[in-house]
Amino acid sequence: MRALVTTACLLALTALAAPTTASAAPLTPEQTHQVLVHIDDMQRNGGDYKALIFLESKQRDKEDLVYQLVAYRRDADDKLMMLFLKPKTEAGKGYLRIDKNLFMYDPTTGKWDRRTERERIAGTDSNRADYDESRLAEEFEPTYVGEEKLGKYAVHHITMKAKRDADVAYPIMDIWVDQATGNLLKQQERAASKKLMRTTYYPKWDKLWSPSKGADVYFPREIRIYDEVEKGNRTVIAIQEVDLSSLPLNIFTKAWLESKTR
Amino acid sequence: MRAIFRIALHNLLQARLRTALLTLVLAGVTAILIVMGALSHGFSDTLRTNATALQSGHVNVAGWYKSKPTDAWPLINDVDELERIARENTPGLDYIVRRDRAWAKAISRDHSFFVSPSGIDIATEQRLKDILQLAPESAYKDGGRPEPVGDFERLSEPHSVIVFASQAKRLGVAVGDYITLTAPTGSGRTNSIDVTVIAVAKDMGIMSNWGMFVPSDAIHELYESADDTSSVLMIYLDDPDEAEDVMGHLREVYAAAGFTVMDHQPAPFFFKFEEVAGEDWTGQKLDLTVWNDEVTYIDFMSTALDSITAIVIIILMGIIAIGIMNTMLMSVRRRTAEIGTVRAIGMTRSKVLAMFVTEALLLGFFASLLGALLGALIANGIDAAQIQPPPMVSMLLLSDTLHLSVDAAQIIRAVIVFTLVTGLAAISPAIRAARLEPVTAIHHTS
Repeated sequence: MRALVTTACLLALTALAAPTTASAAPLTPEQTHQVLVHIDDMQRNGGDYKALIFLESKQRDKEDLVYQLVAYRRDADDKLMMLFLKPKTEAGKGYLRIDKNLFMYDPTTGKWDRRTERERIAGTDSNRADYDESRLAEEFEPTYVGEEKLGKYAVHHITMKAKRDADVAYPIMDIWVDQATGNLLKQQERAASKKLMRTTYYPKWDKLWSPSKGADVYFPREIRIYDEVEKGNRTVIAIQEVDLSSLPLNIFTKAWLESKTR
Repeated sequence: MRAIFRIALHNLLQARLRTALLTLVLAGVTAILIVMGALSHGFSDTLRTNATALQSGHVNVAGWYKSKPTDAWPLINDVDELERIARENTPGLDYIVRRDRAWAKAISRDHSFFVSPSGIDIATEQRLKDILQLAPESAYKDGGRPEPVGDFERLSEPHSVIVFASQAKRLGVAVGDYITLTAPTGSGRTNSIDVTVIAVAKDMGIMSNWGMFVPSDAIHELYESADDTSSVLMIYLDDPDEAEDVMGHLREVYAAAGFTVMDHQPAPFFFKFEEVAGEDWTGQKLDLTVWNDEVTYIDFMSTALDSITAIVIIILMGIIAIGIMNTMLMSVRRRTAEIGTVRAIGMTRSKVLAMFVTEALLLGFFASLLGALLGALIANGIDAAQIQPPPMVSMLLLSDTLHLSVDAAQIIRAVIVFTLVTGLAAISPAIRAARLEPVTAIHHTS
């Protein structure tokens, strides 16, 4: 059964991975920008967010790793907290983003280290942006490439360059957006040299009613990240138990994270 | 005095067996001291030679640039002006080279690890070219040819790289293959360049674990830094022993010219990233170091070798001192009649004492001289034999062959120390001999 599911997933991803050009009816720059605004808006909550996340990392020459963590977000203040629960060796570790500064806490030393925004989370191929609120329209200048078919989906293919002051890990990104739902299905991130660094798939999307937004909030149930330089390295982020109710005020503090290991 | 010297020499020759045994032991210990000292000296030689070719000048004018407080970029702007000031104000200047430093992930098809690639202009790097040797292909590739492949001069080609044999083996690459280097740029965004391996150098110990060489332009492209920036001016002096003084002088000169100079911190640049990133300032600061600051992480090896040598020698010296003391006491006992006779015919106590001490000093001098020469011979023999130590030892010794180096000062020091130790060890038995009453001595023997 498990093999069947894996095969099905692989077939689905293969279908997503092989875009074919459909009829080219280019969107205007304004319409292209609106596609990004729509993606951001669908995922924007405006209030608080909490999710249980399973992070699976496969890296060549290393044993597979599976982490369990809880992510807390307060999008109105751009705050993000990630607290690792499992495995035991990682329990209590955490990341805290305050005022565009990312800090990492290690309970074994009791120390906080300032990290870059592009920090690979727990050494996997994922970075802070994968867990944070979507800000595509704010951070990138889009150019419409064309309509394409991604497996069975009709998609908009958009290429984007990071704005001068945007704090992003990769300066060039291509995205494939489902025309029907407006959901992001695939993205490819490139280095400044234009070398392809990472391909990410979003095979499952879900939605939840947000009381603070007064509308549905969309979130990916699963994110699959493939390292395009170190072939064979990949990370799967499974997002579960999403909760959009208000969080206690003191969560986004160093003291709160430290208290979790006391 | 001459008579005492002749008597002492005569006594040594008369007790041939005892003299031969003591000479053998003393010479052996001196030889061990010389060989161990040569190993330590050889290591220091290798350290200085390798460090000043691979990663440091005798004096380094490096610096840090921060566009925001959390940055830490090993970059210097105004590099032409900095070099002009260095050229005009460095006493005993030999030459200056520029290098670009980076910290990047090297990725091949099969493996990856972090490295510190240096951006260089191969045409100006004579010292580096002198020390690097091409590794035979078989050293890093299964089924590779026994002869070296590649050419260091091809580093003048864009997007090229020189790697060390152990790196080539880990990455699974050979000459002609490419490696991807990825690093965050000054703006924090990821960048990458592909570089082709144009030569594989023989390993040079621990330093070849993370160092590799690319053209300067490659680092500028990777970091998206301007062409008029660099990371370090490596200054080479006619006399490397002047490095500390020259650094002190240049610190004052740069400060007077309006540059901000960081407090001197004796550590390699890659130890300073975190500290600099944690400091609350922006802009440019200069960081001046001398060559041994950049290799403090390997200094423990030199200290360890010196400490082991010192401990071994102290133990052996103690044993020898006790041995000499005992032998001399036995000699005094056996020669009581002789002492009684010479005292009876008028030799003073002090002259008896001098006679025994001279005997020990002569023994110590000739034995340690013999041992020192023997040790020098052994050390030079091992050095010439190009013995390959186990990989771990090789890594710590910074060389794939054992390098021992003996200097004249070491031999002179060993001879003086061992002669003095034997002389001092003989004082107590000599005092006992000098205190003997002539009548008692003659009576005792008869």
